Amino acid sequence: MLSALGNPRQAAAQLMNFGLILSTAFMMWKGLSVISDSPSPIVVVLSGSMEPAFQRGDLLLLWNRNLFTETSVGEVVVYNVRDKDIPIVHRVISKFGTGFVIPRQWWLFMGIYNNDSDDTKLYAPGQNYLVREDIIGRSVVGYMPFVGYVTIMLSEHPWMKTVMLGIMGLVVVLQRE
Amino acid sequence: MYSSLVRLQNTFGFFTTVAFVVALLISASDFLSPRTPTVNVLKTTQLQTVKGRADYYSSKKEEYAIIKFTLDADLSSLFTWNTKQVFAYVTAEWPSAQNNNATNQAVIWDTIITAPSSDHLGNFSPSKLKRLRKSANGKGIDPSRGKLQLKNQRLKYPLTHPTGRLANTEDVQLKLHYNVQPWVGFLSWNQAQDWGKWKALKNGLSKKFTLPAIKVKEQAKKKTTRA
Repeated sequence: MLSALGNPRQAAAQLMNFGLILSTAFMMWKGLSVISDSPSPIVVVLSGSMEPAFQRGDLLLLWNRNLFTETSVGEVVVYNVRDKDIPIVHRVISKFGTGFVIPRQWWLFMGIYNNDSDDTKLYAPGQNYLVREDIIGRSVVGYMPFVGYVTIMLSEHPWMKTVMLGIMGLVVVLQRE
Repeated sequence: MYSSLVRLQNTFGFFTTVAFVVALLISASDFLSPRTPTVNVLKTTQLQTVKGRADYYSSKKEEYAIIKFTLDADLSSLFTWNTKQVFAYVTAEWPSAQNNNATNQAVIWDTIITAPSSDHLGNFSPSKLKRLRKSANGKGIDPSRGKLQLKNQRLKYPLTHPTGRLANTEDVQLKLHYNVQPWVGFLSWNQAQDWGKWKALKNGLSKKFTLPAIKVKEQAKKKTTRA
């Protein structure tokens, strides 16, 4: 590390390397976002409301395009309630109304698993149904268990974030190529 | 170069690569096992339209349908080593009279069929868990659970419409759907067409029916007393 400080050329190369890693990760995320047409193509399940299908910490891959089929009842979708930025993963319980190329539809949702009642109580005041635009992933197309638990740990124990960032920084600085 | 930190990093990197590749192989294996779900019977046995509060929480009185149906389906081919659970559900669907583009779709009944390996994850009562464990007989995969046999099944979720009107709705059809939840891998949603070894669900639609006109509860009571 001291040698890195003593050698500005090497220090610059390491900084560059670190920047490259960050931008690669960012571009991959954004690329996936463009392909799936979803602002957040990979989400971590935060609650146990979809048990036993999804547990806390499971990773879901989302798809948000209607290429061949309309979004239909029974699909597990991820939606945001108006004015709240917490993605909710639940099943579509019913769908009523008209739909064209860019559908504006009437929706109702339900967490069929644990509570057996519809989600309208989770919505914003005055919001009785959801429309297509509220959905950020029209259906969950891929599933990987447990991997996302790291992010839950990080958000529930903020000190871990500091520690992890510190370790990552150290690794990058200590790496000599 | 060969510090313990680098070694640790390499080990972790290798571990994640291997885990990811294994997960990918497992999910790819899904496409090799055929899925041939069949429906033998799906028909309604009772139809009624009532005006009132559809469930405990509804604030207004509206028309809702009381439907009973009989279902005999075999989803046992959906249970493979990567199946965590199968979600089977019945919807009521009908076209709209005024607008050709309108959809009317609602889930009226559903069930989660867990594979024996995921029984412990379900929110089952201890007695039911015990029963499930016993029926699996120590097996990890139990295709016999995929046999659905329902007789005069009542609706699980009230069937209502945002307009509040349901009586005399024509061309209503019940439809069986399923969704396989894997331990790891891909979820498919379209059961209408063949996908390699995954065959489309045939015969999953009931006959078209019309919801009857409103039957007021008091009148119904009077009729029965008269008779």
